[in-house]
Amino acid sequence: MSELAEALVELDEDKVKKLVREKIDAGVAPMSIVDECRKGMDTVGERYKKGDYFLSELIVSGEIFKEAMALIEPMLEPGQQSDTVGKMVLGTVKGDIHNIGKDIVATLLKAAGFEIYDLGIDVAPGKFVEKLTETGAPILGMSGLLTPSFGAMKETVEAVEAAGLRDKVKIIIGGGIVTEQVQKYVGADAFTDDAAEGVEICRRFAMEGG
Amino acid sequence: MIKEAMTPKERVEAAIQLEPYDRVPVAPLTDVMFASRHKGMTVAYGISHWREGFQAMVDVFDEVGGWDAMILPGYSLPLTPTVGAGVMASLGSGRYKFPGQDAAVSVDSQPQYEERELLAVDDYDEIIKLGWSRFAEKNRGRFTPFSPEDIISWTRRQTAHYIKERETWEARGIPSLCGAIIESPLMFFSTKRSLISFTMDLHRIPDKVQAAMDAVVDEFIAEAIEATRLTGIPGVMLILERGGGFYYPLKIFERFEFPYMKKMVEAFAAQGLLTVLHFDQDWTINLPYLRELPKKMCICELDSTTDIFKAKEILKDHMCIMGDVPASLTSIGTPEEMEAYCKKLIDVVGKDTGFILSSGCTVPADARFENFKAMIDTAKNYLPAR
Repeated sequence: MSELAEALVELDEDKVKKLVREKIDAGVAPMSIVDECRKGMDTVGERYKKGDYFLSELIVSGEIFKEAMALIEPMLEPGQQSDTVGKMVLGTVKGDIHNIGKDIVATLLKAAGFEIYDLGIDVAPGKFVEKLTETGAPILGMSGLLTPSFGAMKETVEAVEAAGLRDKVKIIIGGGIVTEQVQKYVGADAFTDDAAEGVEICRRFAMEGG
Repeated sequence: MIKEAMTPKERVEAAIQLEPYDRVPVAPLTDVMFASRHKGMTVAYGISHWREGFQAMVDVFDEVGGWDAMILPGYSLPLTPTVGAGVMASLGSGRYKFPGQDAAVSVDSQPQYEERELLAVDDYDEIIKLGWSRFAEKNRGRFTPFSPEDIISWTRRQTAHYIKERETWEARGIPSLCGAIIESPLMFFSTKRSLISFTMDLHRIPDKVQAAMDAVVDEFIAEAIEATRLTGIPGVMLILERGGGFYYPLKIFERFEFPYMKKMVEAFAAQGLLTVLHFDQDWTINLPYLRELPKKMCICELDSTTDIFKAKEILKDHMCIMGDVPASLTSIGTPEEMEAYCKKLIDVVGKDTGFILSSGCTVPADARFENFKAMIDTAKNYLPAR
């Protein structure tokens, strides 16, 4: 593991920023710096999976990753993007304004190499469908923290079906109170209340071709 | 129905004291949201019309034939008549968007939590210097448009309502468990700084965060004790969510949450006050620490994400456990599923004593009445397997 990846794994914010700046100044290709950071994030995810790291370390590493990206992004050529694992549409469903879980997952998914179309909060079913159609994203993630959001998630799945996209799109729901029972009620393909597990499920979806 | 040999108060007291009971007591954490909807009002109307909203709660109680205790007697706030308490409550409600006040939050939605920074990182220094009350008085204008007189008058009205709510239940023979509501310092700073910013604070400036917690904890204790005296209910709800194993490793819990939780509970117990440890999210890895809290002076209230069966194993001879019907089950399940879930809780967690059947956190606004009733009925009709 490179020194930069290691610094990210150890959550050394100052060192990560210093190393990124040094690499930029030394003319290292921006995408290769991004890849080093991603390797660090992968190890953070592995430590979380083993129980050595907690949500707090996911949050801190995600914030450090964002700071690193803020330094690297101006160096990227217009239109230049890293190799993406896959596209994904994400949002908190209609009638629900909670953003924190969605935002944490979005940061981790971006760090894992996903191209995220984050529609924000209070997203109507039609908006999800519109973005899925426009981007061709094979994964949809819906977040909600309240029981009434189950109905909005169900409506969105029905709208995806009505648009003829259901067999092309894998759907995952997330939030503090979602359960297997909610997944079945909504008609989603997966559920999670765990940000890192959510990333793993999306990776699996991407490998399966959406 | 099981032949009852105890009053609701005796039954709940037996559960808390880990003495035998005639059946498992049931005490859902109800508020105006579900009751308003059930009685044909919007949630927005119920929240803003205390008389009608509270009456809806009483009507729901009567409609299901009653239950054994109110965890909180209604939906007013138990506050001391001080600017510090008023600003704290204002900061609490400032985290929410209320139904009908925001396009995204419908009149039938419950208030929704908006994660944003109400306190700035620089505020730690001033809180360390001034403590909570003086900080709140000095910075009042940042958090509320109201004058000190208006704030104090509002706290008095809230507490007066709270007392009327308590009296209504007393007239029915139903005890209320909490006469004060307070957050742990970690919960307070996490929700006021926002989860991500607070987590970064713990990473970047841990000593300062700890100093700020040290600066507020005694005032939080004093506020809660005084509120219980005013409301006449010898118990405190300690709001805990952000400090547990779902969010943080034990090294954070051991430094920033447990010492304060312990200090608060011990101070309350010294005054003869029960503490309802209101745990949201998964605290399973933290459960062994609860054995260090005063015996039979706490209720461990769980929301279905902590392993309640593990809690029973660890705490059965130490404190009462309350919970933990999942909100999703009440909202989209069936009465049969509800009955099966409650029977399992009664069989395992309710065995012998030390359990109060309850909702996992608050009964959701869109709870199905038949599911809610099934929870109450199961407690009244089902004896633990021997």
